[in-house]
Amino acid sequence: MVRHLPTLSIAMSVTSLALLIAQPATAETVTIGIGTQDTTTNTVTAGVVIRQLKLLEKYLPTEGKYANVKFEMEWQNFTSGPPVTNAMMANKLQIGMMGDYPLIVNGFTFESNPESKSRLIGIAAYSLSGSGNGMVVHKDSAYYDLADLKGKLVSVPFGSAAHGMVLKALQDRGYPADFFQLVSQSPEVGSTNLQEKKIDAHADFVPFAELLPFRGFARKIFDGVETNLPTFHGIVVRTDFAEKYPEVVVAYMKAIIAANQWLRDNPKLAAEKIQEWTGISKEVVYIFLGPSGNMTTDPSIKPALIDAATTDVKVLQNLGRMKEFDPKKWVDDSYIRKAYAEMKLDYDTQLASTKNYEISGEDNFCKKPIGDPRKAGEVWVDEAGILPFSSATCTLGAYADYKAKGKKINVTYVFDTARGIKLFADQAFFAVGSDEIAPFLLKKDAEAYAAKISGKVLGFEDAVKAAVTGGKT
Amino acid sequence: MSSPAILRHPEDTMQTAMPDAPPAPSATPQSAPASFGTLALRWYRLNQGSLRATAIGIASLIAFLIVWHLLTTYRVVFFVRFTNVPSPLAVYASFTKAIHDPKFLMHILLSCRRILMGFSLAALVGVPLGLIMGRFKLIHEIIFPVAEVLRPIPAIAWVPMAIMLWPTNEQSIVYITFLGSFFPILVNTLHGMSLVDPVLVRAAQCLGARERSIFREVYFPASLPHIFTGLTVGMGVAWVSLIAAEMISGQYGIGYFTWEAYSLVQYADIALGMIAIGVLGLGSSLLIRGAGQIVMPWRAK
Repeated sequence: MVRHLPTLSIAMSVTSLALLIAQPATAETVTIGIGTQDTTTNTVTAGVVIRQLKLLEKYLPTEGKYANVKFEMEWQNFTSGPPVTNAMMANKLQIGMMGDYPLIVNGFTFESNPESKSRLIGIAAYSLSGSGNGMVVHKDSAYYDLADLKGKLVSVPFGSAAHGMVLKALQDRGYPADFFQLVSQSPEVGSTNLQEKKIDAHADFVPFAELLPFRGFARKIFDGVETNLPTFHGIVVRTDFAEKYPEVVVAYMKAIIAANQWLRDNPKLAAEKIQEWTGISKEVVYIFLGPSGNMTTDPSIKPALIDAATTDVKVLQNLGRMKEFDPKKWVDDSYIRKAYAEMKLDYDTQLASTKNYEISGEDNFCKKPIGDPRKAGEVWVDEAGILPFSSATCTLGAYADYKAKGKKINVTYVFDTARGIKLFADQAFFAVGSDEIAPFLLKKDAEAYAAKISGKVLGFEDAVKAAVTGGKT
Repeated sequence: MSSPAILRHPEDTMQTAMPDAPPAPSATPQSAPASFGTLALRWYRLNQGSLRATAIGIASLIAFLIVWHLLTTYRVVFFVRFTNVPSPLAVYASFTKAIHDPKFLMHILLSCRRILMGFSLAALVGVPLGLIMGRFKLIHEIIFPVAEVLRPIPAIAWVPMAIMLWPTNEQSIVYITFLGSFFPILVNTLHGMSLVDPVLVRAAQCLGARERSIFREVYFPASLPHIFTGLTVGMGVAWVSLIAAEMISGQYGIGYFTWEAYSLVQYADIALGMIAIGVLGLGSSLLIRGAGQIVMPWRAK
């Protein structure tokens, strides 16, 4: 054994030397490893859309020091953030995207990496009110509120944005940490467990709180909007890579801006394409990314999001999962600013704006223009497209009308009257009074509102009947 | 080898040992009458082999730790990159933290219970089934294709099915560890059966043995060595399946501990979980080997 060692090490050093010499001889190849989360719908405009539309290739630098450079893109898809962080730590990926909690863990983990740190360079999508995360129960269960889950078994992927939502919700309501039995399950495991009624509730991040009800076995009983704490997905980069190839990072930011534009230009086509690329149903994609959707795609790094990240750090510190970490020092908006400047766009205007793109156009059923988009509704009619309607009453009336004409309807969207979040109409509770129909996510909200307008709470089918008989005249 | 000599001449160990004890230069003449010294020396001679193995084993483990320490302290990058691998001291630190946490003990205890149940079930089903399949061709033909199709399926792929199949999560977890150890046990038992010398079977038949006696006296003892190989391998695979299985649990188990550390990207805890699984796996293999020696006393160590 001892005799072989020198030979082996000589052979190895000769090989490595040969590799070192061989590299500069050919044109330089820059490998860009990008870790995406295709199934996490609000990261798609920073990941799968750029990959499929080849947007990064469009913006990559070709001049100056990049004249002889060949770029090689390596896209890797994961279902959650931690594996992306792991691969970034190992320098297999240079750019990664994930939700707020995994992002913080990413930044914190990189603090102890001697080679490189990580920086938050852009946002994929956000919801200032905290929508996107949610808690679902089995549709046959008798739980309609968090209070009903006292002492019950609730699972959530630990260390995820949804985990933060649950902890915040408990704090907000003054419930003790052991109010329910909280266990950690990944989305795949939690979904199956919920379907089999092995757990009482499952809290999860985008798109599961909408996807599971859409699949037909779950009902959402808690939405992140109730915590009123912003949630977001963002993009992190290794600093050693970003300092060496800043132009590449800027190009990536430009690709994100272009992808967001592509989405807004034709949300229906985008939803269909994203379904084709990621396997998440287009109706679910559209509820997040469509007009007046529950997520805003906007790459600017808003101070409100960083404040939320600071709150998230405290939650992780209270759990003993993290030491000192300052999110403000971890943000680097120079690349996104440069991308905006080079595309002749105004970053500061974008930074100050928290507007999403909204439903607009003409209501062809009630014959009037869309006034308040967050009181409107949409019906996705197969072949005819996604049609806007000015109110919940008009939406349900139009739904009944299309149904009577024998059209196939994919899905109907309405908005929560109090919170303004987009809902699947067939999952909503409707407070129906003499002259109005008000949709709600939560049964208790609908009941309270019905008491106020001295009406009653109806399910989707009955509400449609009420819309046809009462609302139309 | 030297032990018979010692037994024959207990009084003058020295003289008899001298000619046929080349590996023991340390046994150079000393005054014989010191009874304690003699006893110690005799014990040393008897256990020389195992002592040597233990010493070398400890030395190599220490060397492993030192190499690990050096590689991580100097963050060696030579094809393999140790830049972010946790150092042994970091792992030790999270070990001391974990050992004071009653939850960690709970993790280990629950995992041991799951392995014990899954593995025992696998042994109770796998060994008899292997014996029967080896003896009766029709049963072999019926069961073997199914087993061969199911065998290569990795534990992690079983997770969703296991959740749906069993009413409680604990049963799902035990089921996955069961599957992990079942197939190695079954295949090795079958292999053992196929190697039974047909001459022995014919001899037993000539002596008028019935089917049951042949099974008990010939087939079973003859395939025991392979059965134990299967049990050892099966135990190993049961631990391998553990992480996949405990993903379901969401609360306890050393596999879950490792999984949770991964989802919070805590490298030292991941390493701690890995080492704990390694040590527990080693312990359980030693138990099986010990059982093997008790059951098969005719096999030399």
